[in-house]
Amino acid sequence: MTILTIPTPDPMPLPAPLWLLHTLLLLVLFLHLLAMNCALGGGLTVFLNALRGRSERHPFSRQLATELAPMLPIFVAFTITLGVAALLFVQVIYGNLLYTSSILLGAAWMSVILLVIVGYYGYYYFSHHAEKSPRSAVAVLAVAVLCFLCIAFVLVNNMSLMLTPNRWQQMYRAHPGGFNLNFGEPTLVSRYLHMLIGAIGVFTAVLAHLGVRKMRTQPEYGAWLVRRSSVIFALTTGIQFITGTWFVMAMPRDIAMSLFREPLPGIVFGVSVILSLVAMVLLLIGSTAVKPGPLVHAGFLCALLTLALMVGLRHMVRTAYLAPHFDPVTLPVNSQTGVILLFFVSFVAGLATVGYMVAKVARASVTAARAAGAD
Amino acid sequence: MNYPVWQTLFPAGLLIAVVAVVHVFVSHFAIGGGAFLVLTESTAYRRNDLGLLQYVKRHSKFFALLTLVFGAVTGVGIWFTIGLVSPEATSSLIHTFVWGWAIEWVFFFVEITAAIIYAYNWDRLDRKTHLTIGWIYFIAAFMSLVVINGIITYMLTPGAWLQTKNFWDGFFNPTYWPSLAMRSVICVLLAGVFGLITAVRERGEVRDRVVRLAGMWIVAGSVLLPLTAWWYYAKFPVFAKAYMAGALPAAQHPVRGGITCAALGLLFALVFAIWKPRLMRAPLVVFMMIFAFGLMASGEYLREFVRKPWVITGYIYANDLRTEAIDSHIANGAQPKWLTVANPEEDQVGYGRELFTIQCSKCHSVDGYRGMTKRVRGWDATFAANMLAHLDQLRGNAMPRFAGNAADRQALGAYLATLSPARAETITDANRAEIGKQVFVTRCGACHTLGGTVRPLDAAFTGASPEQVRDMLPVLESMSPNMPPWTGTDAEAQALSTYISSILSENAGAAK
Repeated sequence: MTILTIPTPDPMPLPAPLWLLHTLLLLVLFLHLLAMNCALGGGLTVFLNALRGRSERHPFSRQLATELAPMLPIFVAFTITLGVAALLFVQVIYGNLLYTSSILLGAAWMSVILLVIVGYYGYYYFSHHAEKSPRSAVAVLAVAVLCFLCIAFVLVNNMSLMLTPNRWQQMYRAHPGGFNLNFGEPTLVSRYLHMLIGAIGVFTAVLAHLGVRKMRTQPEYGAWLVRRSSVIFALTTGIQFITGTWFVMAMPRDIAMSLFREPLPGIVFGVSVILSLVAMVLLLIGSTAVKPGPLVHAGFLCALLTLALMVGLRHMVRTAYLAPHFDPVTLPVNSQTGVILLFFVSFVAGLATVGYMVAKVARASVTAARAAGAD
Repeated sequence: MNYPVWQTLFPAGLLIAVVAVVHVFVSHFAIGGGAFLVLTESTAYRRNDLGLLQYVKRHSKFFALLTLVFGAVTGVGIWFTIGLVSPEATSSLIHTFVWGWAIEWVFFFVEITAAIIYAYNWDRLDRKTHLTIGWIYFIAAFMSLVVINGIITYMLTPGAWLQTKNFWDGFFNPTYWPSLAMRSVICVLLAGVFGLITAVRERGEVRDRVVRLAGMWIVAGSVLLPLTAWWYYAKFPVFAKAYMAGALPAAQHPVRGGITCAALGLLFALVFAIWKPRLMRAPLVVFMMIFAFGLMASGEYLREFVRKPWVITGYIYANDLRTEAIDSHIANGAQPKWLTVANPEEDQVGYGRELFTIQCSKCHSVDGYRGMTKRVRGWDATFAANMLAHLDQLRGNAMPRFAGNAADRQALGAYLATLSPARAETITDANRAEIGKQVFVTRCGACHTLGGTVRPLDAAFTGASPEQVRDMLPVLESMSPNMPPWTGTDAEAQALSTYISSILSENAGAAK
């Protein structure tokens, strides 16, 4: 017999309108996933190219690994920073679900912290030691990438378990110490693979975009990067159709059907599929074009839009899963208007400050590059 | 009882303490260290001191590696841990302060960006821009303390928030300003301590100068610390001051520990950093780190300790139960939503163990940290159930009310009685005094003292013979509704009355 227990939501009202909380949640989640795709996809890319680049025959692979290495810890820094924001907003809306699933996965959930520390330091180690001691650096990078792959798996476990309260009591009775994983979830593997392949795909779109910029100063290397990234993007897009179909097929029938029956999820689903195909075609054509810039940039933009729509679709799937058990629309609201305004003021000021700092570095980099060119 | 309990092998509250102490140790350095970097860089430019500048560059790399990774990730670790251990309290904090955290996140975002740019663009940016980014880092880092300090202090002294539920009432609570001052001073102190780590690795004449500079930061922080700590203490709630005044003698341990660590750190800084900087070597830096960590751990432990029995004073207990829910549980039973025992109605001890897990295990273990076995030695189930009815009135008033009805108390009492079965040894003249003392400690000492200040029994029993004391034991519950009936054996009653009588006679003799 399935015992359904869902903790009562917090007695305090939501401190902002639900639409605002949802908007911010989806926005920071999109940015978090983008940074995560760069951190995870980037780590895998650097690892494979560092291995390949050990041969004299693949100087571009070596160059790519060397250029990307210092970026990896920065990608992680922003993945964490943006992930914290997503965690903040998801807790305020879905806290009663997330805390419960986290407790059931307690051991794995806590291990995320240790894994992030190891993986993060691993990326730093690689970026500092890739030249001096490439063998050990690649070995450490492999461990770091493995850590991030495990973190992604735990995250997928938790994000799926928080949607299925009917499994909670049984898991709690089996392992109250939190030594559970959500292996009973039919979508677990397909969902994980979909996120993982997606991360590689999005990062290769970023690389193709970067390749076009490189073509200005290093035409051969830039063209190689665009070509290679476009092919891998096409490959991952193809695989995503398989994992995506598997993911949808593994969902409960009524939830899967709602993606096609309801107008909004259906439109978002359809447009995101078309956009991913458009991105693939643009990148493939761009990679062989004489002037690849506009096509590759448009393809990159389509890939980003696909990710954004997928974030929206993911939210609709969550809502459909939770519909029988929990609807945040029913939660009372008492907006903290003054503090919300203060947040937006500080947010704009913060963005301006970050913009100022990044602009200063970018300008200094251009100046340094020109000086190097003049030499 | 709303959420499942993460059942760990140790009181899960300890995990919060460990993660939090490790985090604040680095995060306070992340703030003070920012000021240390930018002020030292500024000095190096002003004096055109290349040696000092090289030191700042190296120190900034160490700073970034430690604070960006370990500092930031352990901060996320606190989020993870409190959500697992105290979901109800975490949810409440989030609902009250989500926008505070969102504002802190903005500063965190600026801080991370500035730290990366500052540490890795020494050669790319001009001096003025680099210094500006250093200042941006420090201001953003300090502002994140300004925000988070409001949330941390709210937990001990929510002030008018309890009535108004207004964000600002909770944020600018009675301990906000003294805590901000104290933490700022600690930031200065830790900037110096961590500065030593890289300073002793310098070569040439600059080494002694940077060691001395770090020492001056330590001394400045150490001198100001007692003033701010006293201000902070002055704003403590009445119950917390009572703990420190003697109601809970264990409150003195972190105070003594903190003072010892601060004093030793100051002494070492004066001697080995300022007076004889050449003597400052790696082993001494390790000692300085230990003193600084000890100071930080003592402070955080004390802050948590004096908040007993609350996690948010007056609102949510340390066992994650809301005050408003307790009356309902007392009237209607605990009715936990999450149980691992199959048949609670048939398995009283099993159900009692489950209640222990839910209501006690966040702070108490069975045999280890704050272990129950030694606390319930010789208790029978009835006595334990009676004690649970007055849990919040135990010595120091540092326990929450028990959230359950008579049947729940009996179940938990039955479980507690299994932890330390009734005394088996025969009481003789040789061991009577010792056993009498044990019986007093476990049956009376939870609420009373002999010759002490907390509910002393002196007035009731001074001058009474052992027989007179023993005669009063069967009528204890008629003396006060809070007194549990005597359920011990006759032999225990005899040992206890002999002990009480002899101790009070000794005290009276000493007084004369």
